[in-house]
Amino acid sequence: MAVIAGTATAGERQGLLGRLAESPLARLVLRRVLVAIPLLLAVSILTFVLLELIPGDPAQVAAGLDATPEEVENVRRSLGLDRPAPERYLGWLGGFVTGDLGVSNVSRRGVVTMLGERLPVTLELVVLAFVVSLLIAIPAALLAARKPGGIADRAIMVVSMTLLAVPNYVMALLLVLVFAVALRSLPAIGFVPIGEDPVGNLRSVTLPVLALAVPLACFYARFLRGDLVEQMNSADYVETARAKGVGPWRVLWQHAFRNSSFGLLTLVGLNVGGLIGGTVIIEQIFAMPGLGLMMLNGVGSLDVAVVQACVFIFAATAVLANLVVDMMYAVLDPRIRYGHR
Amino acid sequence: MAIVDPSVTGAALTPDVAARGARWARIRRRLVVGVPAAVVGLLLLVCYLGPLVLPLPAPVGGSVLETRLPPGTPGHLLGTDVNGNDVLSRLVYGGRSSLTVAIAVNVIGVVLGGLVGALSGYLGGRADTIIMRALDVLIAFPSLVLTIAIAQILGPSLPNTVLALSAFAVPAIARIARSATLRVTTMPFVQAARLAGSPWWRVLLRHIAPNIVPQMLNFALLGMGIVIVTEGALSFLGLGIPAPAPSWGNMIFEGQQSLSAVPLLVLWPSLALLVTVLAFNMLGENLRDEMSGR
Repeated sequence: MAVIAGTATAGERQGLLGRLAESPLARLVLRRVLVAIPLLLAVSILTFVLLELIPGDPAQVAAGLDATPEEVENVRRSLGLDRPAPERYLGWLGGFVTGDLGVSNVSRRGVVTMLGERLPVTLELVVLAFVVSLLIAIPAALLAARKPGGIADRAIMVVSMTLLAVPNYVMALLLVLVFAVALRSLPAIGFVPIGEDPVGNLRSVTLPVLALAVPLACFYARFLRGDLVEQMNSADYVETARAKGVGPWRVLWQHAFRNSSFGLLTLVGLNVGGLIGGTVIIEQIFAMPGLGLMMLNGVGSLDVAVVQACVFIFAATAVLANLVVDMMYAVLDPRIRYGHR
Repeated sequence: MAIVDPSVTGAALTPDVAARGARWARIRRRLVVGVPAAVVGLLLLVCYLGPLVLPLPAPVGGSVLETRLPPGTPGHLLGTDVNGNDVLSRLVYGGRSSLTVAIAVNVIGVVLGGLVGALSGYLGGRADTIIMRALDVLIAFPSLVLTIAIAQILGPSLPNTVLALSAFAVPAIARIARSATLRVTTMPFVQAARLAGSPWWRVLLRHIAPNIVPQMLNFALLGMGIVIVTEGALSFLGLGIPAPAPSWGNMIFEGQQSLSAVPLLVLWPSLALLVTVLAFNMLGENLRDEMSGR
């Protein structure tokens, strides 16, 4: 019904814009973006207020601890820190919406330039962590779900339950202890840019990526295993496939996993925001010059423009990831696309 | 239920074997809740009563002449750290602060988050929208940033660590409470109470609260592990429990400085953290399975 009505009106409207306005997917995106704007605005106000409340004088930090009072006042004026707080916030916001992220009080460098250096590091860590965690979790869950209660299942469940209780900072130190201190096979700290030395780059990110990926992999494996077992036990299409004589692995992979991948996708989407925030401590341990460390230093030196940019990226990524998950749902499942479940 | 793989359900056995299997399953079900509950109880006992009963040296103010003593040294069962403090004593006192923070945060989370979430879900309409949007802001905000900022504003101390961590426990628990309330509100007994003219606060306290509290307590049990880990992260960054007072997080942080020389100083608090988080997670998960009848 809705499908037919939708195409009829779409036919009446002309041009790409008209068709776009009719598309449920475009409307979903539009609605979510409209909700996201006030949300991100509130996040930026909260960030500003929090930084204002942290005791300390940003002008003193920017001028250096051994600066004379006159020097501090000069820095305060030159950075515009003598203006009242609302004016400073609105000034920052005005710049932000026109694409000017401001200048770091401490390094006096453009925040955009700093992001250009820092973002790729964090992005590499996060993307690799997700890829590695799924590469571990999916085969482990399939193996466990093949025979629930079997040896493989029990072993995987016990190991994943235990590793899930290991915080990523402890995991990081354990990995350093084994691979850097005892085996001396991987570097303990530092980051090698991929442009300089691709192999060195991979070696330098291996331990931080593993520290992020292992707890995540356990979480996904446990979730996926539970969902797969449920599908295998109760879903009609699994019975149909079995009755047709489809082999057990094929049922698991082609039938049950396809359905379970929805839930997994949601979980991954929900985790993106959290993981990007969770890199803070991992970057600190491994001395990775990423976004998390930039933000941590920014909070420490009351560098508003830097913290605002980092928090915006963290929050916007979380919002965006949820939106992408919903869109993928809509693309994969026509019932959602056309607005009736 | 046409064709079911016997290995999946464990059915299709002789009655005798099946009965034995059922008895074993019952024992197993008790064990998976009982063992982690016992571990949690033991941890609470050691951390809160241990210092009163055990002959532990003070966790701070160690002598510089006694740094990095190996485990098994007389008077120092697990040896001493880089400051000459007794490791076992610091583990016990550190566990006390970790557990205190986690319990306090979850109590605040359940009470405040439960109240906000239940009100939001029950009132509905505009109030619900406003409350949920405000919570969305807190949830979209990177949690570690929020806790770091609060810890810096208020200064590092145990009560302030509790406040900082509550800032993200409350919104998370409020969401759970809201969705649980929405489900309960449509049930006949709530409708009956409303039609009978009970005031809203009475419906909320007498009819809705008893039905959502078990679920929230269970969530709080799983939240214990999360809070303990995050407190560790804060202390690790130097923003939680201030040194020299021990916490598992700042013990790991101190140990990190001499990781290659004395790895045990990192391993002891890590192990304590692991056992505690594992016990709470298992207890929470297995209780939930039990409650949902799985």
